Amino acid sequence: MTTPPDQGELTVRFLLNGEPVAVAVPPHWTLLEVLRYRLDLIGTKQGCDKGDCGACTVQLDGKAVPSCLVLGSAVDGRAVTTVEGLRGPTLHPLFDAFDHAVAAQCGFCTPGIVMAAEAYLRRLGRPVTRAEAAAALAGNLCRCTGYTKILDAVVAASERLHGAGGG
Amino acid sequence: MLRLPGFRVASPTTIAEAVAALAEPGARPIAGGTDLLPNLKHRLGAPTVLVQLSRLPLRDVEVRAGALCIGAGAVLADLAEHPLVRAHAPSLARAAGLVAGPTLRNLGTLGGNLHLDTRCRYVNQTPLWREALGGCLKSHGDRCHVVPGGQTCVAALSSDCAPALVALDATLTLHGPAGARTVALADYYCADGTAHTGRAAGELATEIRVPLAPGPRRETYVKWTVRKSIDFPLISIAMRFDLADDAVAAPIVAARVVVGALASTPKLVRKLDALRGQRLDDPATADAIAAQVGAQCKPLPNLPYDADYRRAVLPVHVRRGIAALVAAGENHG
Amino acid sequence: MGDGGVIGRAHRKVDAVDRMRGVARYADDLKLPGMLHGRIKRSPHAHARIVSIDAAPALALPGVHAVITGADLPTPYGVIPWTPDENALAVTKVCHVGDGVAAVAAIDEDAAIAACDAIRVDYEVLRAIYDPVEALAATDVTINPYARAGNLSKHVDLAFGDVDAALAASPLVVAEEYFFEGSTHAAIEPHCALATVDGGGVLTVWSSTQVSHYLHRELAKVLGWPAHRIRVIQPPLGGAFGGKSEPFDLEFCAALLAIRTGRPVKFLYTREEVFLAHRGRHPMAMRYATGFDRDGHITAVDARTIIDGGAYSSFGLVTTYYSGQLLGAPYRLPAFRFDSTRAYTNKPACGPKRGHGSVQPRFALESQLDQAAVELGLDPIELRRRNFLGADTRTVNEFAIGSCGFLECLDRVEAASGWKARRPALPHGRGLGVAGSTYISGTNYCIYPTELPQAAVQITLDRSGRARVFTGANDIGQGSSTMVAVIAAEELGLDLADIRVIAADSDLCPVDLGAYSSRVTLMVGNACLAAARALRAKVVEVVAARWGIAPGQVSLVERQAIDQTDPARRVPLTEAFHWAEAKHGLLTAAGSYDTPRDRHGAYRGGTIGASPAYSFTAHVAEVEVDVATGEAQVIAVWAAHDCGKALSPRIVEGQIEGSVYMGLAEALMEAHTVDGAHGGVVAAPSLLDYRLPTALDTPAIHALIVEHPDAQGPYGAKEAGEGPLHPIIPAIAAAIYDAVGVRLRRTPFGPPQLLAALQARAAREAAGALAPHKGRALAEVR
Ligand SMILES: Cc1cc2nc3c(=O)[nH]c(=O)nc-3n(C[C@H](O)[C@H](O)[C@H](O)COP(=O)(O)OP(=O)(O)OC[C@H]3O[C@@H](n4cnc5c(N)ncnc54)[C@H](O)[C@@H]3O)c2cc1C
Ligand code: SF4
Ligand code: FES
Ligand code: FES
Repeated sequence: MTTPPDQGELTVRFLLNGEPVAVAVPPHWTLLEVLRYRLDLIGTKQGCDKGDCGACTVQLDGKAVPSCLVLGSAVDGRAVTTVEGLRGPTLHPLFDAFDHAVAAQCGFCTPGIVMAAEAYLRRLGRPVTRAEAAAALAGNLCRCTGYTKILDAVVAASERLHGAGGG
Repeated sequence: MLRLPGFRVASPTTIAEAVAALAEPGARPIAGGTDLLPNLKHRLGAPTVLVQLSRLPLRDVEVRAGALCIGAGAVLADLAEHPLVRAHAPSLARAAGLVAGPTLRNLGTLGGNLHLDTRCRYVNQTPLWREALGGCLKSHGDRCHVVPGGQTCVAALSSDCAPALVALDATLTLHGPAGARTVALADYYCADGTAHTGRAAGELATEIRVPLAPGPRRETYVKWTVRKSIDFPLISIAMRFDLADDAVAAPIVAARVVVGALASTPKLVRKLDALRGQRLDDPATADAIAAQVGAQCKPLPNLPYDADYRRAVLPVHVRRGIAALVAAGENHG
Repeated sequence: MGDGGVIGRAHRKVDAVDRMRGVARYADDLKLPGMLHGRIKRSPHAHARIVSIDAAPALALPGVHAVITGADLPTPYGVIPWTPDENALAVTKVCHVGDGVAAVAAIDEDAAIAACDAIRVDYEVLRAIYDPVEALAATDVTINPYARAGNLSKHVDLAFGDVDAALAASPLVVAEEYFFEGSTHAAIEPHCALATVDGGGVLTVWSSTQVSHYLHRELAKVLGWPAHRIRVIQPPLGGAFGGKSEPFDLEFCAALLAIRTGRPVKFLYTREEVFLAHRGRHPMAMRYATGFDRDGHITAVDARTIIDGGAYSSFGLVTTYYSGQLLGAPYRLPAFRFDSTRAYTNKPACGPKRGHGSVQPRFALESQLDQAAVELGLDPIELRRRNFLGADTRTVNEFAIGSCGFLECLDRVEAASGWKARRPALPHGRGLGVAGSTYISGTNYCIYPTELPQAAVQITLDRSGRARVFTGANDIGQGSSTMVAVIAAEELGLDLADIRVIAADSDLCPVDLGAYSSRVTLMVGNACLAAARALRAKVVEVVAARWGIAPGQVSLVERQAIDQTDPARRVPLTEAFHWAEAKHGLLTAAGSYDTPRDRHGAYRGGTIGASPAYSFTAHVAEVEVDVATGEAQVIAVWAAHDCGKALSPRIVEGQIEGSVYMGLAEALMEAHTVDGAHGGVVAAPSLLDYRLPTALDTPAIHALIVEHPDAQGPYGAKEAGEGPLHPIIPAIAAAIYDAVGVRLRRTPFGPPQLLAALQARAAREAAGALAPHKGRALAEVR
């Protein structure tokens, strides 16, 4: 197998927030760059650009990953969910819990944290403890909140999504 | 942003295709990308083509021919929870579960972890930073800032899984232009931080094999970092004890202790033969092992943390690791 | 209070949902047609003269539109008008690794990076100095190009009372040296600025700044562009903490390159550039002596401080004053002297980080108190109670203190932590520590001399029953937009959802000075209150006239105007607004706030640090020390904070929790240092090596709100954003002492430092020089 000397842009086809898309992507662009600067999905934030902060967390095939360390071309054939994918006619329980607890101060870390939390809660499918939530979010830095209200919100959302005491 | 340098990508779906793509000069494999991409963003390397391994059938975990066989593309988060890994190589499951943070473990692979580039506070930086420093042996310079006057780079092996797998006598299978070969992981690393693996040009790691324990065993992996997540290891110790029977107080038949995060190879601690017949729950055993580790392993100021401190507490963590095994008693794995 | 019943309830924030769902557009989320990308070429030398710059190779590259250098922006600036000592790009010399020397605008970031690489700069390398004491002594090297007194940035020497005599007469004098390491803000959003010029010559700059107004002024000055043709907009901000409270190179470069190219230009710092821009906590070397009488009353405090300023002044003049001026409360200091010297060094400039200037001296002073308590055999909380300054009084340095809930803060943390019962019972290795503090709610004087008000808010009611609040205040995540909405809703009887806040756009909003020195709630809150009350009066008057009752008998609540004498008589506010607009025309009102000017001393410098109102805080920290590894784990923190009145309690709690988190991080692990042995690089310029605690590293934080309303604040409110950071560092140090009997006097209290101290103690115990702490010899514990 040989790669052409000048690849130009690659056409990458994937499921983005549930919809099939085809996007022209320069080979050296990261998924974060493709989302933010090609597709205007600005909900995914950048805080370090090298895996240290978690602000860029999205879901790849349902798992939370830092999009700054994924090549745009690598998502071909896969499913990418960004924070925009959680929008709907009603407020997602995680958003509602974050809002209620005032778990977002500047809000810059929040989309990434919500994506990590959503993947985790979906995988567990039961209410979680603060300690579990802390471990699941330990790749996402927040500089504003001391995590206190974030963990409150995740625990509350897990109870709402999966029934208190139900697991 | 920290833009990546320009390169092309290849997305082979078979090992043969991957080997062919890797034959191109300047080609590099990329698995999870969690080590390679930060390094490339720092312009440590300028590959012409990145060969993506994610589409290769390299993710299987199975027990075959007396060994736990793990595809090089297996993802760390999966390994940490995999029942077979937990049953047959609990220290590896533990090590995999301690790599970086939870989201990075969803990307990082075992093959990538074993090929993780060595790390040094003086090199894992931006080009501006390295220019201000004046470069070093590993990056456009002629000096080492860790060992003044040193002619060999001693950047640290920072993989959590490598020490665990060396302690378990794991082997690595590579595919290359000349076909496949299998090497003992213990012999795979070399003392040169600029090229610390025995991977030949164009080669690709495909499988890691951990021989099943011949008898009762206790094993663990101890990691210490400043934070409880994200950080690369500052203290990294893998320990394996084969026992005469399945009780933590049983006599030791064989012991293997491997220390990481020192220089560019995992360090196999020697002179542990005297442990044969000793018991893990005897505090003198832990003291003896800790003393050998302390005498043979000298953390260097290559990692971004106080080296003297790391030296001072390395034996403490050895003792604690053993104490935890003893405390777990028969409840291991 | 109004009738709205909104104040003091647990609100959602007005902008949170948009932020968390990725709808709100932060600076880097903005994109304009034809936008170019900028990049700054930075110096690899800590100190060097610029011999020449050749931009031609860069300009020859495809996609490169313009290159500028220091010569294009020669006017020096500085957020403090008395110390303009930096340039947007270095003009004659670079003063730290990372100083900008040239900036490019190109078609994309890749082209901009290539252009920076292509620019050739010849330097003549100069001797760099990284130590403030060495810098002050040096006669051969002047670091800052505009320095007026060698490497002295600022010296302040103030004395109140006869300190020497008081110390000489004191039965106990605690004299120690402390060192507070530098740390940085590390907001998760990197700095970003976007500029464009329209056909009418109006320059618009969007910037992730927390001081739009000062940026506006400095842009006008440095660019020579009239202020009325500049529009500064602050988009939603991803955290600041003081790190975005002055102009930065990228804003000037974006503006000038937009002017030069006629196209919008955006700059986005890399994370490393954020560390290089810095303006974080100053390293301070502090020598403190505090005298006590036998009952534990403070007799005098004598403080000498060397402040490592880095290459530029930033807010350094203020920092130097704050390092002493903010110590006057909450304890009565019969005599007080401080001598603080800020030096220039070849490092990124330090500036204001949350708790500006007073976190470091507070660590020293509280540590002295804790040590005195041990030596006098007093409970450290009791010792603090005995020294309580009181409310409605003046400090030794003549600041007027209004409300003061410090004693209640102490009571609350004492009770919540179980101090009395648990502290004596905790085993070796476990400890509780306490500390207190005070902070300002803004400063009485603006940083430039002016007679104009410090804050102004405009409110307009519209026919759909909404209020639009226009404020220059910068919401940096702390919730200031919610705060004004809460006040407007309270006064006008509206729901929070009916309030639309338009903030921090210089074309739309009245001037506000910015989000710094914890001024916003008090100052902008007061201005908002004035505007809302003026509007309320208009509405109430019209309704009362229609109903033939006195205006005092009308209440506005839950979107209705109600006749208090006959609660069945009510009208929807929308209709009431129509009645009022029919009578008065467009319903709009402005409120201004200016500070009292009589709440400080008459001496030179006596205004600096004087505030309309002071917050008070007490913390108890519980720590577990691993004596074999030297790790101190904070298990829990109880933080009681007197914010006067919590307008929005959850937001106040969030400020307390975030403050504790940030202070705890600098107590235990963070350090922003420059490696002088390796070319003057910032040692940890990434979020990997500069370690911010993760959720797993953060203890349980119990925020306790204490309310002692202050006459100066809106509904009595004081600050909550910075004060609650201060006590955590000395409280942890005290808890470590309580746990294992070692005093740490240098931050951070990392495992290497603590282990070394434990070893030193063990040696002294072994030599018989020290009795075992809590009855357990350290040798035995290991
Ligand atoms: C913030 C952060 C924290 C981290 N912390 C840790 C930590 O605590 N412990 C730790 O061990 N690691 C850590 N890492 C590094 C990294 O995430 C892991 O080591 C991970 O396992 C690397 O795997 P990968 O698949 O992502 O490797 P990649 O980045 O894809 O590859 C790494 C290297 O291996 C080569 N390679 C990959 N696959 C193969 C193969 N099959 N055959 C031959 N060569 C191959 C690549 O060419 C490259 O040189 C951290 C990374 C980040 C960004
Ligand atoms: S060990 Fe020496 S040569 Fe190797 S990266 Fe570090 S400084 Fe450079
Ligand atoms: S931006 Fe991706 S982890 Fe920080
Ligand atoms: S809310 Fe600001 S970083 Fe988390």
